[in-house]
Amino acid sequence: MEKSPSIITTKNLNLWYGEKQALADITMEVERNRVTALIGPSGCGKSTLIRVFNRMNDLIDTCRVEGSVLIDDQDIYHPAADVVSIRKKVGMVFQKPNPFPKSVYENVAYGPRIHGIRERGELDRIVEVSLRDAALWNEVKDRLHDPAGGLSGGQQQRLCIARCLAVEPEIILMDEPCSALDPIATAKIENLIDILKRSYTVVIVTHNMQQAARVSDFTGFMYLGKLIEFGETTRIFEKPKEELTANYVTGRFG
Amino acid sequence: MVEKFHSELDMLKEHTLEMGTLSRTMLQMSIRALKSQDLDLAAWVMSRRDNLTTLDDSIEEDALRLMALYQPMAKDLRTIACTLKVITYLTRIGIYGKDIAVVVNKASGMPPVPGLFDIPKMTRIVCGMVDAGLKAYATDSISSIEAIGKRDDEVDALFFSTFQDCIAAMTEDPKKIPVCTNYILVARYLERCGDHACKMAEKVHYMVTGERIEIE
Repeated sequence: MEKSPSIITTKNLNLWYGEKQALADITMEVERNRVTALIGPSGCGKSTLIRVFNRMNDLIDTCRVEGSVLIDDQDIYHPAADVVSIRKKVGMVFQKPNPFPKSVYENVAYGPRIHGIRERGELDRIVEVSLRDAALWNEVKDRLHDPAGGLSGGQQQRLCIARCLAVEPEIILMDEPCSALDPIATAKIENLIDILKRSYTVVIVTHNMQQAARVSDFTGFMYLGKLIEFGETTRIFEKPKEELTANYVTGRFG
Repeated sequence: MVEKFHSELDMLKEHTLEMGTLSRTMLQMSIRALKSQDLDLAAWVMSRRDNLTTLDDSIEEDALRLMALYQPMAKDLRTIACTLKVITYLTRIGIYGKDIAVVVNKASGMPPVPGLFDIPKMTRIVCGMVDAGLKAYATDSISSIEAIGKRDDEVDALFFSTFQDCIAAMTEDPKKIPVCTNYILVARYLERCGDHACKMAEKVHYMVTGERIEIE
């Protein structure tokens, strides 16, 4: 695969929740316009790591971070870093679809609006483009003002992706985005990820190894807070170098 | 389910090894039949053809089923991919055994040339190569196949010398033309079996190490 410049670089990243160390010495690079998957058994630190990338861990009082995390060469943990602009640049989609208790339209318009866009025509345009990019437009264009809660689980998840796209992020973090979805909705999200990577960088945490193998270009295997192995997805799944990785991907533990 | 998968994968390897033993035995027995003009033994070899096909089909089916049900990764995936190739090579080797048995059958009544030139020696080496490939496959270790390229060179050289010896014998005594033509054919089959054993060793090497090699 052609090398793409890196958009996220972590160097000797360590993270503690109080006394407990959750990430140990993580050094990795995430390439731009590629899908990077993080896999590993429960509690290995993969969700913690993905949350580092948009400083979601700030919400936990006892959390302490050491080492550097550069996004576009900017240290996002620098005291002067602007968390709001980081989170605009780095969007996130969660395990369970979590639309706001508002209409489909308002869910997507919410972000641009708080970022200062008020003009109706412009908001309409953003809503349509975002919903189209999230492969949801055709299914909701006639019910934009219905409550988002009335959509199916898969549609709600794509709405959350549209909501994330509406503020024009560069990076989209996905924390097990399909684990609450049926196989058809899952396939739609996987197709969507493949399209999204043309314009965005995607980092996805998944428990489903076949999903990681299908959607990602790079895979990192984590265990007990360490990044055990990182490389091109085909290599990680076909001939991993580390025995721990081999044991995990063949289901011998985890 | 993971344990069930691994026990089924072990079964798949067992069946492949069983097929390997059958193929190698068909080849070995066909040469024994050639040497001793034993038509019953030749008939036995020919009758094994159907068993070979049955094993080939059932192993392929099991391999595909395991892939569909468990989506194996890493070495497990390589084992299944290797198995699918290995059974093809084993089928070819077994069929050459059958073809030699057919030659024995057709040539019954022709006086053999005692010693069969270098054919018995070729057979020993080729069967040893097949066994080495099967051993590596069974034990997940490449030590038995490391020198297989050299053994194949030896087989090629023996094929050439058998060919030359047959030409010389035919020139000397035209009555030997039918039987020597058969020997050339048989030696050629053995030489091909050596090549299949090498291809098999390449696949097993990939299964064990994840590295692809080419045996010259």
